[in-house]
Amino acid sequence: MGRMAFVGRRLLQLIPVAVGVTIIVFFMVHLIPGDPARSILGIHATPAKVAELHREWGLDRPLISQYWLFLDRLGHGNLGQSLFYGGSASGLILSHLPATLWLIIYAAVLAVLISVPLAMIAASRKDAIRDHVVRAVPLVGLGMPPFWLGFLLIYGFAISLRLFPVSGYGAGVTGHLRSMFLPSLTVAIALAPVVIRSLRASMLTVLGADFITTARSKGVPGTRLFLRHVLRNAVIPAVTVLGINIGFLIGGTVIIENVFAIPGIGQLMINAIFQRDFPVVQGVTLVFGVLVVLVNLLADMAYAALDPRVRFSR
Amino acid sequence: MSAIPLAPGPGPAAAVAPERAQARAARRWYRQPALLAGIVITGIIVILAVAAPLLTSYSPTAQNISQSLAGPGGQHLLGTDQLGRDTWTRLLFGLRLDLQIAFIAVLFPFCLGTILGSLAGYFGSWADTVIMRVVDIVVAFPFYVLIIALVFVLGPGERSIYIAITAVGWVSYARLVRGEILVAKRQDYVLAARASGLSSVRIMGRHLLPNVITQGIVYAMSDIVQDMLAIVTLGYFGLGVPPPTADLGSMINDGQNFLSTHWQLTTIPGLAVVAVGLGLSLIGDGLADLLRPGQS
Amino acid sequence: MTHRKSAAWSLIAVSGLVVLAACGGSGGGTVGGQSGAPVRGGNLVIARTADSQSMNATTVFDNESIWIFEQIMEPLYTVTPNGKGVMPWLATGYKVSPDKKTYTFTLRKGVKFSTGKPMTSADVKFSLDQARAASKGWGYIDTAIKSVSAPAPQTVVVHLKYPWAPLLADLSLFANGIVPARYGGQTENEFYQHPVGTGPFKWDYWHKGSALKLVRNPGYWQAGKPYLNSVTWTDVPSDNTRELQLKGGQAQVDEFPAWSTVASLKSTPNVVMHLFSSTRTDYLLLNELRKPLGDIHVRRAISLAINRPALIKAVLFGNGKPANSVFPPQVPYYQKATKGLQYNLAAAKQEMAKSSVPHGFSTTILIDSGNSDQRTVATIMQSELKPLGITLKIQQLDPNTVNDNQQSLKYNISLAYWTMDIPDPDELATFAVDPKSGARSFFTAYDNPTVVTDTHQAEKTLATSQRQQLYNQIQSLAAQDAFMGFLYYSPYAYAAAASVHGFYVTPLGNYHLENAWLSK
Repeated sequence: MGRMAFVGRRLLQLIPVAVGVTIIVFFMVHLIPGDPARSILGIHATPAKVAELHREWGLDRPLISQYWLFLDRLGHGNLGQSLFYGGSASGLILSHLPATLWLIIYAAVLAVLISVPLAMIAASRKDAIRDHVVRAVPLVGLGMPPFWLGFLLIYGFAISLRLFPVSGYGAGVTGHLRSMFLPSLTVAIALAPVVIRSLRASMLTVLGADFITTARSKGVPGTRLFLRHVLRNAVIPAVTVLGINIGFLIGGTVIIENVFAIPGIGQLMINAIFQRDFPVVQGVTLVFGVLVVLVNLLADMAYAALDPRVRFSR
Repeated sequence: MSAIPLAPGPGPAAAVAPERAQARAARRWYRQPALLAGIVITGIIVILAVAAPLLTSYSPTAQNISQSLAGPGGQHLLGTDQLGRDTWTRLLFGLRLDLQIAFIAVLFPFCLGTILGSLAGYFGSWADTVIMRVVDIVVAFPFYVLIIALVFVLGPGERSIYIAITAVGWVSYARLVRGEILVAKRQDYVLAARASGLSSVRIMGRHLLPNVITQGIVYAMSDIVQDMLAIVTLGYFGLGVPPPTADLGSMINDGQNFLSTHWQLTTIPGLAVVAVGLGLSLIGDGLADLLRPGQS
Repeated sequence: MTHRKSAAWSLIAVSGLVVLAACGGSGGGTVGGQSGAPVRGGNLVIARTADSQSMNATTVFDNESIWIFEQIMEPLYTVTPNGKGVMPWLATGYKVSPDKKTYTFTLRKGVKFSTGKPMTSADVKFSLDQARAASKGWGYIDTAIKSVSAPAPQTVVVHLKYPWAPLLADLSLFANGIVPARYGGQTENEFYQHPVGTGPFKWDYWHKGSALKLVRNPGYWQAGKPYLNSVTWTDVPSDNTRELQLKGGQAQVDEFPAWSTVASLKSTPNVVMHLFSSTRTDYLLLNELRKPLGDIHVRRAISLAINRPALIKAVLFGNGKPANSVFPPQVPYYQKATKGLQYNLAAAKQEMAKSSVPHGFSTTILIDSGNSDQRTVATIMQSELKPLGITLKIQQLDPNTVNDNQQSLKYNISLAYWTMDIPDPDELATFAVDPKSGARSFFTAYDNPTVVTDTHQAEKTLATSQRQQLYNQIQSLAAQDAFMGFLYYSPYAYAAAASVHGFYVTPLGNYHLENAWLSK
């Protein structure tokens, strides 16, 4: 299958996924008991006021026709109005998107930075003590509740040592880099074990490959060998693993954004669920869904482009 | 649950070359320090949880407000919480409950995913298309958002945890088993069984499933860790098992305001979760090495 | 409103019971570390529990919105610092007609909007008319008003349908704050995107879900004020994170630190722990439509079984007082002598014996899943009701659903609280004891005809002593009927950096930031 055809087919698959996501989320949020009108009116809600808001929002219509309206609007690129804030849902989502993207990318980068050296140490001598240690210790990160870890990191690094701001998103690139370090690290610690595992495995594979043996026999020094040949060939599968775990990454941001008070779409989403702000919930889920599918697609393409069999036979 | 496929199913990430045969033969489970450590850690935790009632003289829910926030040592090994309840006792019972829920919770997605994955893999065509499209949709949801929304719909409690974890978790097993079946069904013995006219049910039950189920079991080890995290997270957010039942997540939540004065209240339950995760991950990792020659 | 949420589901922006505060307190910085003369300049950062919802003062009910637009838009009268009365603000005085149905207000001279345009009676008439018309908002507060006229630029006349005791208190409500006539040529929607008023601060920006900033209004009518250059509210739902930001210097005010941290904050260097007396009262709701809670003996037994000092110790860490009345002490006409039912297990058992369920029963208490204080109260109630043979199961739902179930009376027992919006007990009385009000007697379906009649008579009684008598009777009867369990009164907790001066919160919950300043 040609690459274009592959990409085209995958993009086409995006449509049923997106529609499926909207159906599930639409009916699920409407199944949740509770009412956005009461969320806004609070203790002062009266049946008349609630009914008036429902009419204003079209919530008095049958569910199916509401869904149809949602799809129709979506077709015109309109996600509707936020019930809570009153403004456009897409504007709200766009203003919260950068913080989440920062978190995801920063976390992915940190995960790679943690994993590469560790995997190299492990792969450099298979089954040695250091191999076992490197493979075992990061596993601690897998079972760590992110809210708990985040909290301890804040306490240790931001309060006691005052190395980083306690929370928030920061301003400007350096501000973001500083403010988002601890939250990204929290996510990266959970991701690293998976990346290390796959990096180590692919490094071992590469080390066993013919061209490495050849290079070794020609007397290429170990460090150079590792950096030039092994790392280059091993990093891509690791990045692919990251791509596959994008769903986890994004899911994790929901919790992390809360702990670190980051104004991202995860936080927006949770608030919207609590407020029963249906258009925002639907919009964010759609964005998440599309993001996951696109990143998975990129990961697959990266993998296809760098298929080891192709490369090694060269 | 789908969060981190520690042992990824067939797919790009899993394609790693075989390792040398003699190295494989040399590995026995007791020679693997990681696996051994995992078994020891998990064993201790399971014993603590199972024997919880024998290891303490307090009740996990008995309040004594005059004894609230006592320090560790003395009558209370780890001190008491805001309501004067014994922290050690609550830790044991919380561990017991959360482990129990996690172990039960992993069964449902395991079964559902295995069945749907085998159907998709074995029959292919439209069954495959439908099932895998649904998988795509579920995967596109951020895990915690889906779980939280489901618990909202169903109301908090143990039953909701099972349903939510099943609804999200089956996809990993389905993907994994489908991939294994796709490979296995081209093997000679399956082709032979088919040619001899055995029914599909028999072929799947007798020949295919036993061969592919190991992968599912290996994956389940890391899946329990993720389930445990989900349970603790729900408890932390007040969406888990209702009080006054002890649960590690709600203990972390209740205790975190006291970090500067009574650090043990929030730190110890967190460490317990970490220990469970580490033990099970080590076992999962070790098992993967033992059972799957394709991955090191 | 504003729950003291612990941790995470502090995510919940708008949570459960949105009761709230009213308009401006006032007066000098009576509080906290005032030293030396005020200094100009600085940006005050207030880390708060949740984001605002909207700046539309006439329709918004959440405190996190109200406390902000109160800095922008001001009413004719404002609440006194003790929360029990009103004082002239944008008006300087009034005359009332002999039939008590016509009030003529004189407006303060020299008041300008932050755009530079002077405020006139046309603006006041427009503002009051808009507030009255807000059918899904605060319009119900102004129902006694028949019409408003503006005969001269500095004179506003309010015509009433009938004599109405709480009028000045009603006018002090933020919803009756003054905005430019016809929204200065904008639509209502456009206007409230960046509202304009006569207040000490004016609009800068609002990044929804993260921060909102106001800057100094240089033309403010109180000469020399405000002292601050700007105020930024940041949204930090997690209690811990707010506290850590305060300690880390990222914020100067921590709105509602967790009760458990109050003691340690008191001893933290460079932090001043403020506990402002408030009108907050916490209640145990008992739904009389659910058996056997319609039985007065059961309700009295429950009320008698609540060990309030123990609750205060465990939930508020000692920072509160047992409640004896449906009214809080900071509200006018509160009766200190009301005999609320206090902890007495023997009496509780006697009441149970007289009830329809002498051997007890089993029921549920509905609480907000993210609220650890409610979780603590419910857990304690569980063990306190056990001796009466009452098995209490805790049901945790998310705040929105809790709210919904309370309002539609689909619960057995639940928790709620109230804070005053206006310095007059009328709003609370109508809300809490009138089964025909929107709230159906605070969601309990309590119906005592004497109490209901008294409540409506008190609205139209202008003589203070007569009103006091009526409110005394209401409080006594409500306590005897034990239609709710009155739990405790608690203060507003704000932790502030020692550099913050003149930060004061009235018992109604609002603050006047024109008095606040930051020392270097």
